[in-house]
Amino acid sequence: MKHKKKVAVCLSKVTKTYVLHHEKPTFVENFLKRNKREKFTALSKISITFSQGEKIGIIGPNGAGKTTFLKLIAGITVPTSGNIITHGKIVSLIDLEAGFQPDLTGEENIFLNALLIGMSRKKVQEMFKEIIAFSEISSFIDSPLYTYSQGMKLRLGFSIAIHADPDILILDEAVTAGDKAFRQKAGERIKALFQTNKTILVSTHWDEFLRENCQRFIRFDSGKIIDDGSIAVLNKYSLESNN
Amino acid sequence: MFTRFNKASVTNWINFVIAMTEKEIKTRYKHTVLGFFWILLNPLLQMAVIGFIFQFFMPVKIDNYFLFLFAGLLPWNFFSYSISKSTPCIVYERSLIQKAFFPREAIVLSIILSNFFHFLISLLLFVIILFFHAIFFEFKNVFDFGFFLVRILSLVPFLLWLTLLTSSFSLFLSALNVKFRDINFVVQAVLPLWFYATPVIFTLNILPTFLRPLFYFNPMTPIIEGFHWALLNIQPENSYLWIIGFFSSVFFLILGITTFRNESKYFDDWL
Repeated sequence: MKHKKKVAVCLSKVTKTYVLHHEKPTFVENFLKRNKREKFTALSKISITFSQGEKIGIIGPNGAGKTTFLKLIAGITVPTSGNIITHGKIVSLIDLEAGFQPDLTGEENIFLNALLIGMSRKKVQEMFKEIIAFSEISSFIDSPLYTYSQGMKLRLGFSIAIHADPDILILDEAVTAGDKAFRQKAGERIKALFQTNKTILVSTHWDEFLRENCQRFIRFDSGKIIDDGSIAVLNKYSLESNN
Repeated sequence: MFTRFNKASVTNWINFVIAMTEKEIKTRYKHTVLGFFWILLNPLLQMAVIGFIFQFFMPVKIDNYFLFLFAGLLPWNFFSYSISKSTPCIVYERSLIQKAFFPREAIVLSIILSNFFHFLISLLLFVIILFFHAIFFEFKNVFDFGFFLVRILSLVPFLLWLTLLTSSFSLFLSALNVKFRDINFVVQAVLPLWFYATPVIFTLNILPTFLRPLFYFNPMTPIIEGFHWALLNIQPENSYLWIIGFFSSVFFLILGITTFRNESKYFDDWL
């Protein structure tokens, strides 16, 4: 019963450098100090392949390049050099509330936000009732978003993202949303997602979550992948970081 | 701009731009007592105020100056309002850019399209006024009426031209403004100047002859002249105007699209 797994994400020699600017450059500065720009290498020569259905936990200290890595895969930014090939629809749960318009109603925001993260109009119409039901904001749905509580906005954002049905899901620290009851519901939903054949990349400092849900772990440090493998990678990392 | 040229992605792109445009229009009139009535009221008030000022305080010898003024002012306002609003728009929408990968140009285009929607309504009101004006003062027979209709219909290519030119400048300026926030200040300073370098409140033939060729290099000149011709049957200065204007517009369109395409990949790095 051996079948070849399809490639979901493939990075080859991906480097990302940022121009380090202490001040935003102006025209004048740009012409006078053209060569004086400091460079910061966020990721250097990363080559890695994820197969379809893999559940990958991304670990490492802050500033190691985890978020840059996820942003590159999501297509939010492009690498300075190297190639990234992805197969399938990608949805990132990086900032759940981003893109909400405070003056529009919940309904209007569902449409806008769902299209924003890459759902088709038809798909939103199909999923519309389910999104509202899951977010548990029934009677507020036709009120403007500024009347919502923080938790309601998070729930709505989570509900939209979860119904987008991506092939590749990127979770960045956003695993918890809303109150206890909703967190449980959301957690169950995420766990159910982990049972499917989706490719999932999670970056979080919540070790328990990773331990329960991921099979492969990648450890970043200073812009490089220093470890890649099974649960042993996580154990080693938590042991080292506790000392 | 498109990642893949297939039918589904083009449909999604169009739907997304439409949804963003709807958002622009809807949010503008939220929490106003009069709501969408402002779409009609705003241009009428503007006409009344500006018409009053120019009619009495700036006597220029052009027949029906009030009508002349609006034939040029409506497209100019669309142009200048769209540019000044879209130049900083990528910076303002940074939370969207950092959240997901979506066609970035939709942010700029939604501003232009929502302004275009408002512009069309003002234009429609203006055409109705023109129509009644023509019934009382111009129409002598049915041919005059036919000519009027043909002229109004010939607005369509000018509307398209105006929208493309506005989009070119908006894409170019909004993309550059991400790295160089100075652009926004430059735009705010240049737009009023540009207004006086465009024959909106005067005609080209009141200018000294040596100045006129300079106006030909302003791509807004042929468009405004086109509106004057289509709405009021004022013959344009000469036909070089259209040719120079056309080629400079094509140049700006290519410049705008390529700049935005190249820069949009790096928006996230600068926000």
